[in-house]
Amino acid sequence: MAGTHDHSSGGHGGAPGVALRGHAMGLASRAAFTLLPAAALALLLWALGAFELPQVWRTPWVPSLGIDLAFRLDGLSALMLLLITGVGTGVFIYAGGYLAGHPHQRRLYGALTAFMLAMIGCVTADDLFVLFLFWEMTSLTSFLLVGFNHHDQQSRKSAQQALLVTGSGGLAMFAGFVLLAQAFGTSSISAIIAAAPAAEATPALTAAVALVLVGAFTKSAQVPFHFWLPNAMAAPTPVSAYLHSATMVKLGVYLVARLDPAFGAWDWWQWTLQAVGALTAGWAMVLALRERDLKRILAWSTVATLGTLVLLVGLPGAGATAAVAALLLAHALYKAPLFFVAGNVDHEAGTRIIDRLGNLRRAMPWTATAALLAGLSMAGIPLTFGFVAKDAINSAKAAEQLLPLVQIGYGVFGAIAVAVAGVAAIRIFWSHRGMKELPKAHEAPIALVLPPLVLALAGVVLGAVPSIARPLVVAAAEAMWPIGTTGVAGALERPFDHVLEPSFDIASMVGMLAVTLVVGAVVYFFWDPLHRAFDRVAGRLDWLGSAAHYARILKAIPRSAAFFTRGLQHGRLPSYSVALLLAAAAFLGGAILVGGGLLGAGMFDGAFAGGGLALPAWTPPSVAITGACLLITLGALLAGVFEQRLAMILCAGIVGFGSALLFLFAGAPDVAFTQFTVETVFVIVAASVLLKLKRLGRTTSIRDPRNRPGALLAALAFATAATLVFLVTGADPIDPSLSAYFSERSVPDANGRNVVNVILVDFRALDTLGESTVVMLSFLATAPVLFSLRLARGSRGKEPKR
Amino acid sequence: MIWVIALAVWTTLLVGARLAMSRDLFRVVVGLALISSGIVLMLFSSGRVSSAEPAVIAAGEKVLPATAANPLPQALVLTAIVIGFALICFAFILVVRVVRDAETDDAEDLRYAEPAPTHAVEPPASPEGCDPRHPLDEPRTGGHP
Repeated sequence: MAGTHDHSSGGHGGAPGVALRGHAMGLASRAAFTLLPAAALALLLWALGAFELPQVWRTPWVPSLGIDLAFRLDGLSALMLLLITGVGTGVFIYAGGYLAGHPHQRRLYGALTAFMLAMIGCVTADDLFVLFLFWEMTSLTSFLLVGFNHHDQQSRKSAQQALLVTGSGGLAMFAGFVLLAQAFGTSSISAIIAAAPAAEATPALTAAVALVLVGAFTKSAQVPFHFWLPNAMAAPTPVSAYLHSATMVKLGVYLVARLDPAFGAWDWWQWTLQAVGALTAGWAMVLALRERDLKRILAWSTVATLGTLVLLVGLPGAGATAAVAALLLAHALYKAPLFFVAGNVDHEAGTRIIDRLGNLRRAMPWTATAALLAGLSMAGIPLTFGFVAKDAINSAKAAEQLLPLVQIGYGVFGAIAVAVAGVAAIRIFWSHRGMKELPKAHEAPIALVLPPLVLALAGVVLGAVPSIARPLVVAAAEAMWPIGTTGVAGALERPFDHVLEPSFDIASMVGMLAVTLVVGAVVYFFWDPLHRAFDRVAGRLDWLGSAAHYARILKAIPRSAAFFTRGLQHGRLPSYSVALLLAAAAFLGGAILVGGGLLGAGMFDGAFAGGGLALPAWTPPSVAITGACLLITLGALLAGVFEQRLAMILCAGIVGFGSALLFLFAGAPDVAFTQFTVETVFVIVAASVLLKLKRLGRTTSIRDPRNRPGALLAALAFATAATLVFLVTGADPIDPSLSAYFSERSVPDANGRNVVNVILVDFRALDTLGESTVVMLSFLATAPVLFSLRLARGSRGKEPKR
Repeated sequence: MIWVIALAVWTTLLVGARLAMSRDLFRVVVGLALISSGIVLMLFSSGRVSSAEPAVIAAGEKVLPATAANPLPQALVLTAIVIGFALICFAFILVVRVVRDAETDDAEDLRYAEPAPTHAVEPPASPEGCDPRHPLDEPRTGGHP
């Protein structure tokens, strides 16, 4: 029976060849893994006793960027470390029993250990970029852990969702970190916190803080990024208890609390945190009503608690700061056991659907005890640490003017939290519903019972004697308090002197408690009708929710990628040519525009207004040159007009012969004769190709659409830009030094009198050799076509006619 | 002087570019040839067209007379003409090969490398008209035993 739930739904038995490999872990190796968090916990407790906080350790890491590998242990870090290692020890023990015999248990332990190290790094890092590195490591390991049952599609999707949401938030946060580091000239967190209260809220700094907040909100599943956390419940229960209640999702709260002394005085910082936190606290609790799965109900209440924590960070005042620390601790001490309880129920009764569970206290007495203790703390009953935290919250709220939204959000949170505690601790263990469906339910092994019992008991003990937890909470609160306002030689009142002491306002305390309990009890008793009603209403509004937006974005990304790819890589050669020529025109024209001072007035006066570019002055041309140029122009125009291929190449030939004439009249007979020869051969080759094409059945050319404005525009732009470059070049006086050099050295160095010839075969002999090679290769390629024409003449009948 | 040549250059480049963007492969190559002619003209004239006297040193002289044409662009253009011509010939042969293998001279139909989309998002599964003799299209054989 053991370990058949979280991995039985995958259908991996379908392919016998790919059956799960690996083998179960023995007790010794499980114990060895568990020793890690236990040793870390012991080390932490010893260090807290032996050293004064804060402890700093830093070493240069990327000196060129001013990044240090810096770690700092203060009260807040210590509190988080205590949660990480303390709950971690419980989780490691629990995972040993929960997945006993699972072939991939080793993988789970490996990922959990990597996650724990990343968390430890994250909460102790004192450099923004070191923090970011560990932050992303927690996202990655979380992906592996949520997707642990990778045979299950739902599990893979949830892992992807968690990674995408927290990963993109991480990117936003990284951008914020870069801006922060630029604004303060350092990436050291403690230096930034010290400098920030005096800093001016420039737009860059505001943007930086907003981006960091986005990162924190995605990690801590705040509205509107709240939807990923309940889906991450696809993970095995130890993972849910560890990552998604006690540690990783609190990183966002941690970061916000860490930066609170820096930016806590900003109005919009307070309002944003209060509004987002209150909205999350209230709305997530309401969403819990929609669920039937015990784990998902607990997940929503976790989201709501995270919202409360964010809200409390946003409240000014020392009381709120202390309440953050108290609630962090209290939540870990009751929510992790409740997750363990849900896992036990799932493990031993085979389901987590609350409709099918009931009366389990006889079968699972120890689990029921742990559930009851944790539930009492969650409901905030006196003598539990949950009550102490709640009392701290209430006194913090009493000290401040609150937005109505905060009142409502917190009120809803408190009431439904009681109901959720009732469902998790009372309904499934004490009420009789669903009793008959669970004949085989029995108590879980000791590894599954011990962790929730110990953690829940710790909550009760701390609740009865809050002074044990007091030093830690005070230290954490002081770390979240602006530097310089405490302990200035006793001149100021120490704000945390009365932390965790009962508020002694008995009337209001009892009143608050009574109201919350009564409303909570009402919700608890009407859970099923409320669930049905709410599910009906909210089901119609799902398309508005951020989960639906997430699904839409996920679909839109490949669509838009396909859209852009197909727009750019459409596979149509003519349009590629258009793009190519337009780009060339843009570069040439851009050079002209920039050089000419953006084409100012007086363009044809000989000089551009701003830049140093000028157009050449008009000089009357010689008759011969004019004639040659007109011949070229005429040939080009005709080549563009004729559709017929033969006529077209003849006209193109005219262009060539016109060029040759121009060369002849411009003192370049060598070039002219080359051009004559080349042009003649060109027409012959083109005509042969035409003949070949005719034999292949392609006698006429394809008609282009008459109007292709894009192509015409591109051609115009290209020709005009290139001609402008030519004209601008011609306006400048020429630098004759190279020509003069060749003219002087031609006779003494090369004994040649034809300077053009000497340049080609002496000064640039190697170039000319290379060029000749190119020409030879090209003729080697051309020869077979001309050759095949001659062959085909003898056997024309064999050519396929199409 | 330069304005007349600029007119010839502009017309040649314009028509050449327009032809190079057409659908007919043969015309594309003629367009390239025209562009090449235009650029050669431009290159040649950038050395200034002023003299009709060839750049040849008379017997007994040591240097070119100041009235002679600029020899440098002539040398550059000479090789440019030949190279350009060789490349155009090569392009013609390519056209013949393409027309023979793909049985079309319409550039719009040459979609072997980038077939038309068959799905809104997915890449085209099996390109139509792909040559089964193409090495990439042969069924994979062998591999790991």
